[in-house]
Amino acid sequence: MSLCLENLVIRKKNGDILLTDFNLTVYKGEIVTLMGPSGCGKSTLLDTIAGHLSQEFTYSGTISLEQNQMDQLPAHLRQVGILFQDDLLFPHLTIWENLAFALPDTIKGNERKITAMEALKHISLSNLANSFPEQISGGQRARIALTRMLLAKPKAALLDEPYSKLDKELRAQFRSLVVEQLKQANIPVLMVTHDKEDIPSGSRCINWPWENDNA
Amino acid sequence: MLRLLYLGLIAVCILPTIPGLLGVVLSAFGYIPPIGLSDFSLSGFSHVFRWNGVWQSIGLTMYSAIISSYLACLITFAILQSCWNTTWWRKIETLLSPLLAMPHVAFAIGFAFLFAPTGIGVRTIYQSFGYDLSSQNVNEMALLVKDPDALGLIVMLALKEVPFLLLMSIPILQQLKVAQIEKVSHALGYNNSQVWCKVIFPQWFTRLRFPMLAIIAYSVSVVDIALIIGPTNPPTFAVLVWQWFNDPDLSLLPRAAAGAVVLFIIASLLIAFVQTLEWVVLKGFKHWQYSGRSGLTLPGKSLFSLLTILAFIMLPLMILWSFALRWRFPDLVPSQFSTRFWQYEWQSIVNTFGQSMSIAVICATLSLLLALIAHEYRQRYRIHIPGYIIAIPMLIPQLSVLFGMQIATLYIKSDVYSFWVCWAHVFFAFPYVYLSLDGPWRSYDQGLTRVALSLGKSPLHAWFKVKLPLLLPAVTFAWAVGVSVSLAQYLPTLILGAGRISTITTEAVALSSGHDRRITAIYAISQALLPLLFFSLAMLLNHTHGKYRRLSIKGLLTHESLSRKPRHP
Repeated sequence: MSLCLENLVIRKKNGDILLTDFNLTVYKGEIVTLMGPSGCGKSTLLDTIAGHLSQEFTYSGTISLEQNQMDQLPAHLRQVGILFQDDLLFPHLTIWENLAFALPDTIKGNERKITAMEALKHISLSNLANSFPEQISGGQRARIALTRMLLAKPKAALLDEPYSKLDKELRAQFRSLVVEQLKQANIPVLMVTHDKEDIPSGSRCINWPWENDNA
Repeated sequence: MLRLLYLGLIAVCILPTIPGLLGVVLSAFGYIPPIGLSDFSLSGFSHVFRWNGVWQSIGLTMYSAIISSYLACLITFAILQSCWNTTWWRKIETLLSPLLAMPHVAFAIGFAFLFAPTGIGVRTIYQSFGYDLSSQNVNEMALLVKDPDALGLIVMLALKEVPFLLLMSIPILQQLKVAQIEKVSHALGYNNSQVWCKVIFPQWFTRLRFPMLAIIAYSVSVVDIALIIGPTNPPTFAVLVWQWFNDPDLSLLPRAAAGAVVLFIIASLLIAFVQTLEWVVLKGFKHWQYSGRSGLTLPGKSLFSLLTILAFIMLPLMILWSFALRWRFPDLVPSQFSTRFWQYEWQSIVNTFGQSMSIAVICATLSLLLALIAHEYRQRYRIHIPGYIIAIPMLIPQLSVLFGMQIATLYIKSDVYSFWVCWAHVFFAFPYVYLSLDGPWRSYDQGLTRVALSLGKSPLHAWFKVKLPLLLPAVTFAWAVGVSVSLAQYLPTLILGAGRISTITTEAVALSSGHDRRITAIYAISQALLPLLFFSLAMLLNHTHGKYRRLSIKGLLTHESLSRKPRHP
């Protein structure tokens, strides 16, 4: 299982090139970090992979997951999970309902609540099950957002500066949780960040300007 | 000085609700000393409930208000689901202003011209499909105009409220950050329709509560529209109460007042129903929101196209009717044209036009001044009248408060009709103007005023030279809202003017029940064009203040409040 970007070129509508002829393969269980300054197109690259490229941009090249091309697939069928800077938990749903929302449709009825509660227990936040997102701390929300993403059983994950809104202490704790959980999920993970400390130890990192990666 | 002005505002725009409601309640119990009734009794209520068909009338009112309001809500959601953040949305935003500016009465008359048994709709069907109408009774063809089940009233009200709900939804959806919700939900495997049904709908619907309450209260109490296209035997309850108020036998006034109290109770019950329904759908049975990936794809683009086409057919159709000398059924166009009816009506129109404009401009200006005072006071003093109290005139049936206000005028000086009409217009226009300015005033950066003061300018100088220029587009728009609301007032003009003051709206409604469509069309055109004129003026001013526009529009759109949209109570 791998995420492959081949000959990817992203252009602005006015013709300016944001990313040129970019190749990258992220393997199963691997976390690859793309480093770059603000405005270099990190988030745009993730939007392209996830199927959310705005109308200001166009792209050419191939994006494939498990050797299946995703270019023509709508965003919701790509099975690519995303973790954003903001937790983006739904404020009208309680914590367990947020998790139940992400579960596959094969899990039905009361099973959805049971599964969501188990997932909460796994991250030691069972006591927050009936709270609303606004009632819990930023660190707790971040953990729940990660769990929600993984409960949808994605085949790849994209991390868009996921630690940037956490304070220093929380950031360190959350980093290790993210790495641990994603390793367990055993899926290809692509992270963009501008903070060197975010790079998981021993993982591959590509610095700006991004060179082609043919590994 | 500001405190004194604020007290004046309370006296003019807030306190009259109390004698208004008190007056109608006392009258309902038979206590109206000015006409010699000074014994309390329940005969008013017993007359109401003994009236033949009253329960059917109440039923019609309740179901037409509920169905039309939720139909409007559903159509609005369908349009948002299909068009928000797409190229279509830009077109919708452009079309919203003219759709909003069209008054309810003009819309209803246009609707009647389209769907009456001899309207253009039936004519088109005949010409296109050769459907033989002679086999039908004309009354059987009245499916959408004065039909006994109020279907026409429901459809018309629903269509007319959609632009209002769309406008109300803009700040709501901007607050919700729809693009981010879509991104995260897509990543969780939900398609666009599912995201809108499962995630956006619950949040949008909760925030749409106040606009929904306003349109339900309006639908319950509407008289002018119901007179034009509503059922007649029995009519809706508001119309029935209005007919009772017009009874020449003054000893029957307690019946009318009791009807107004019942109308108030109906409106309150429906408001409670709306709250309950919202709780049931969003909180009581919440399971559907996280039960998996399902959702309806609604034909929002088609619905908006239909609404726009209908609205934009109405004006040319009214113009065509106003110049028709001979237009036999089932011809699609008149066989003879004439300017005769314009010539006949011209003098009368000019007079009524002048009267309507003067009242509207005076009332809108006063409402604007009062709204500015209210906002300035709110920003300076912690204790002030909360927004929901200011919004009360939007939520209570006009009939339920106007009668009491009329009784109150009898105790003061009843024969200064223009004054009382203007006061009633200000009373009903003020909440709309106030709420139109709410967003811009809240978004204004007070630091700018502090900077001006620190540079040695007086508070008045800072207000006129810094704050006002920045908020001027919003102020002009709020003024246009005030003009539009005032122009649309029907019951306040008739009740407090005692029938002696006529405006374009009262004339249009009166003529719509007659049989000459040409004259009705002339007044409907005038009624439709007047608010458009003022909105265009406001937009022109906004345009010329281009450099300030971004801030003011941001202010208007980002705050969750009642909008700049004039609704027509």
